[in-house]
Amino acid sequence: MKPLQLLAIFIIPLGLIIAAVPQNKTKPYKLTADQLLGEANTRTQFITPETVADMIVKKDPSFQLIDVRNQDDFEKFSLPGAINIPVADLLSDKYTDILNQDAKMNIFYSNGTVTANEAWMVTRQLGYKNNFVLEGGLNYWFEAILNPQKPASTSPDEEFAKYDFRLSAGKALGGGDMPAQAATQTQSAETAKPAIMPAPKKKRAAGGC
Amino acid sequence: MGPLSVNELISNNTNLFLAFIIGIGFGFVLEQSGFSSSRKLAGVFYGYDTVVLKVFFTAAITAMLGLLFFSLFGWIDLNLIYINPTYLTSAIVGGMIMGVGFIMGGFCPGTSFCGASIGKIDAMVFIGGLFIGILIFALGYKIWDGMYLANFLGFPKISQVLGLSDGVVAFLMVIVALGMFWVGEWAEKKFPREEY
Repeated sequence: MKPLQLLAIFIIPLGLIIAAVPQNKTKPYKLTADQLLGEANTRTQFITPETVADMIVKKDPSFQLIDVRNQDDFEKFSLPGAINIPVADLLSDKYTDILNQDAKMNIFYSNGTVTANEAWMVTRQLGYKNNFVLEGGLNYWFEAILNPQKPASTSPDEEFAKYDFRLSAGKALGGGDMPAQAATQTQSAETAKPAIMPAPKKKRAAGGC
Repeated sequence: MGPLSVNELISNNTNLFLAFIIGIGFGFVLEQSGFSSSRKLAGVFYGYDTVVLKVFFTAAITAMLGLLFFSLFGWIDLNLIYINPTYLTSAIVGGMIMGVGFIMGGFCPGTSFCGASIGKIDAMVFIGGLFIGILIFALGYKIWDGMYLANFLGFPKISQVLGLSDGVVAFLMVIVALGMFWVGEWAEKKFPREEY
């Protein structure tokens, strides 16, 4: 028998079987309280400000910043490219398409992390994927990205690398030497961009021949 | 090592080490099967040797059926499988550059390293070209990042785009693969070469 026929005898029935059986949907759509607690405890929902700054500067199209504070606060200051979904309106139908999708990565942020975490927990409980929280919220954003503190001279090299990245990202995003209070007017991300050093990022494996 | 590193059962370094071992095995098999000859890859284009097509398509079909059956038995959660993001424009442009490179060079990145390791000069030249390409892309990133990131479609699967179940698409792919193998064998008879 020719190899091709042999192969056909094996894979055509397998293909037919897999086409005929219903897809395995045993994975629960919604999370149980246990799973949610587990996820919250491992803090998987948090995205560091460095990662977010890196994505904003590179104009990465695969993420969406979502401001969950109320509209007044959003109009006073928001991160570049952010949209406003106040946490009170989170369950409104008009936002479902944004929150429940698997194309983009949504990153919630608020002043601290409490409100953003509320939004994350509600959407996670609904079984929505791809929602995350900006670690530390805007307060930490100002501290870490827009006004980074120089590490002590005895700090390890990684601290200095982090500081350099924060400094250059902060400048590109309109922070730098201005105080945090004044930064409320800095909407423009179009200021001159110094070279950005890449933030240490977890790489996903990719295949190929 | 898919599930092991995703679930953090092994560290990143162990993962790299395993990748290194698997990579050596992969290279060894490629070399032993004659893939380190540029004529083998060029043969797919000219029709006298379609082994490369058969090997890679068989691998894809095996992995596809394996994953679907594993999922059916509840052994693997398909949601954890990493799907490459689709940037439509760069996929098309990159595919064309890659295809032209395959025919011109007679190597794919993997087989060029196989060829170089057994001392083939054309393979070393190919690797040189590969690095020049990487340099041009990296240094000129500002020029083409607009095109590179254009038409981002998220992480779609063919089954979602067509509105069919994964299983039906898998069956169609099996049929397509067998059809291509048949055409390949026909081409091998039609355009034979004595020595290459």
